[in-house]
Amino acid sequence: MVVLNKKSFTLPRVEREHFVRLMRLGVEYDRDKGTFSIASFDNIEAILDSISNILNDEILFLQNCLICDNDFPCSECNYPEFCETKNLPFQCVCPQCLKNRKIPQQKLF
Amino acid sequence: MTINDEAMWVEKYRPKTLDDVVDLTHIIENLKAFLKNPHSMPHLLLAGIPGTGKTTVAICIARELYGDKWKSFTLELNASDERGINTVRDRIKDFSRYGRTGFGEAPYSLIILDESDQMTGPAQTALRRIMETSSRTSRFILICNYSNKIIEPIQSRCAIFRFSKLDKCAMVEHLKKIAKQENLRLLDEAAERIVEYSEGDLRHAINALQTTAAYQKDVIDEKTVLQVFGEASPRQVQLMINKALSGNFVEARKMMYNLIGQYGFSGSEIVRQMQRELMKIAYIPDNEKAELTNIIGEYDYRLTQGANSDIQLSALLAQFSKFGK
Amino acid sequence: MIKDLLWVEKYRPKKISDVVGNELAKTKFIDWLKKKNRRKKAVLLYGPAGVGKTALVNAASNQFNFTIIEMNASDTRTEKTINKVGKPATSFIALDRFSSESKGNILFLDEVDGVFGQQDRGGIKAIINIVKQSLIPVVMAANDTDQKKLRPLKKVCQLIRFHQVRIPLIITTLQKICSAENIEAEFEALERIAQNSQGDMRSAINDLQSTSEGKEILTLQDTMLLRTRNKDIGMYETLRGVFSAESVGEAAIMLSRSNVNYDDFLLSISDNLPFRYPESADLATAYDMVSKADVFRGRVGTENWHLLRYFFNLLAKATTVSPKSFKPFDFISPPIRVMSLFWTKNKRMKLENICAKIALKCHVSRNTAKTDIVPFVKIMLEKQKSSKIVSWLKLEPDDLDYLIKMNKL
Repeated sequence: MVVLNKKSFTLPRVEREHFVRLMRLGVEYDRDKGTFSIASFDNIEAILDSISNILNDEILFLQNCLICDNDFPCSECNYPEFCETKNLPFQCVCPQCLKNRKIPQQKLF
Repeated sequence: MTINDEAMWVEKYRPKTLDDVVDLTHIIENLKAFLKNPHSMPHLLLAGIPGTGKTTVAICIARELYGDKWKSFTLELNASDERGINTVRDRIKDFSRYGRTGFGEAPYSLIILDESDQMTGPAQTALRRIMETSSRTSRFILICNYSNKIIEPIQSRCAIFRFSKLDKCAMVEHLKKIAKQENLRLLDEAAERIVEYSEGDLRHAINALQTTAAYQKDVIDEKTVLQVFGEASPRQVQLMINKALSGNFVEARKMMYNLIGQYGFSGSEIVRQMQRELMKIAYIPDNEKAELTNIIGEYDYRLTQGANSDIQLSALLAQFSKFGK
Repeated sequence: MIKDLLWVEKYRPKKISDVVGNELAKTKFIDWLKKKNRRKKAVLLYGPAGVGKTALVNAASNQFNFTIIEMNASDTRTEKTINKVGKPATSFIALDRFSSESKGNILFLDEVDGVFGQQDRGGIKAIINIVKQSLIPVVMAANDTDQKKLRPLKKVCQLIRFHQVRIPLIITTLQKICSAENIEAEFEALERIAQNSQGDMRSAINDLQSTSEGKEILTLQDTMLLRTRNKDIGMYETLRGVFSAESVGEAAIMLSRSNVNYDDFLLSISDNLPFRYPESADLATAYDMVSKADVFRGRVGTENWHLLRYFFNLLAKATTVSPKSFKPFDFISPPIRVMSLFWTKNKRMKLENICAKIALKCHVSRNTAKTDIVPFVKIMLEKQKSSKIVSWLKLEPDDLDYLIKMNKL
């Protein structure tokens, strides 16, 4: 199980064919830093699959908490069996903020 | 018949003297008696169905009293256009201050207040006071559709003249006269059809005639008339009412949607038209008209409560369709 | 007891950022709206009920100031609807040219998967036709997530997928509402409501309200009675439910369980009444109820929520006037509102000005000018554009143009 941060992650040497595929799916590569990041979420599931194949392992992305802005993994969450978008890097609330009954500062309604 | 250059025939052929007014002989006789002694003329209340000559008579009186420059001595107001009694009062005050107060035999100016039954009770009470305070310098001619909507104190201060539906033959004759002046060949059945659909409203009939002329045919036949009426709204409102009363709710409602969609009428405007057209419908006896008017009033009130026009109008039409059965 | 299900209305998202979850879908939708990467002029938002599809469309229209024209996707219904207001389908498209006040119009077809259910594929064809004919962008929404069924539409529209809203997000939203409503809720209670909702934000909020009604503290115990709601009670189900109900109470409960928007629902009931009640007497009674409900809705406005129980009561009465006479019928939905779109403030003002000119010349009130004279003048000018009337009334060229176009709609 590999946990990645969608804003910046590394991969071992990638074959050209896979690389091109990733770019097409919406992944970006920073040559200076040698890191990948997800630019577009249009094909997020395909991206996951692809990277999973490359790494030959299950891939998880960190979630971003919309209240405290920290990144956290789904494994810390209490509701895995209810979630349709597990491990996909979408908006969420981290267990700490949830437990502390925090609500977003900006006027939601 | 007097002719002038006005583009719309309702104006071009509007009678200038009382004698020319169509089919109102008994009213004319009485008015002439008043006009013989202008300084003893009271305030007047002209009441009745639309298009039967009330405004025309008022203007003719003005001409009788003041001649060609009658406009300088007459203030024409419309209660539904003015934003309330204060505006009316202001305009009357300004007029008495700056307008000329009298001419010859008539030591007063004339104030014609149209659609006075659109004024609320309190507004009318205020109007009565205005009438009183300006009675030395002004005479009022109040015009309305429903005289029972005018408060008692005003009614008792006026000489009331009731205008009823114009006689069909007289209307046909008048249309034919106009057609002749306009070099149109108007077939008998076309004229009769126009008169029939106008239900006693001469303004309506003349407008319809002028519209048929716009089709630019040499001969105005019944077919053209039917085309015109197919497209014009007062007839649509009549048809809508008829359909509702005969139990055909869905068709009536379709017509109502058309009125909103095609003409942009608001709910209140359609209700107003219904009141007016209802008055004209011959086959409904008066007591039923009164009941229907009450029903309309109820839904008119609900409209003012800020409700949806199409729902309230649909509900109104539904009550009509139940009534009809 | 009829519940005031108002929080879904009170806290309805007004801007896009208010819509919780599905940020990928939101981004794609906004891009499509702004014509970035717009490959197709239609877009299909699909996903479970209550996750924010319609909410997003409404919030976007609010934020970007465009007008939503809603129509029913079903072929026959659309045709019937258009015919019922007496206009051919193509003139509908012309509406777009007249609304220069808003930034544009969007055609919204909700519940398009109602059409997929048909055996024949006529429904899909009809939708594709509508999209092809439309000169304005088209947004569609569907609850069905079966990709296979949706594939035929890919030809004409971009598919945007909506997911269930994540539990933590739902809990947080519920928490926010509780704060606003001064309710102290046990965390476990909110948790339970969120879990029970299966990712449906709308029903989560409804459940929150129904379990905390009249309480200052909400305990886990209070939520134990929640049964899994039927999330898909949309307009059709609700209409069917209330019209076929056998008593006022049954209809009222149906209403309180439903997720429909009240204003739309009121209009839908009004539209459908004559088909439920062929008898004039019944129809009149039912309409009187609906009319009163409408007045109440107006009185409720945005503050007097306690009056809404009367609103529900009256609607329930309207739909159960003579329960025994119920026969199934085809519903009209969504409500027929298309035709008044032309009458924007500008257009009304123009008409008022023209009426004022006529009023002056013909010694009538502006109202009378509008109802008695304009209809004829319209036709006169249409047949003879050069008529003397134009100069007599001092009509500007665009006044003339406007009057003539008015007739053609």
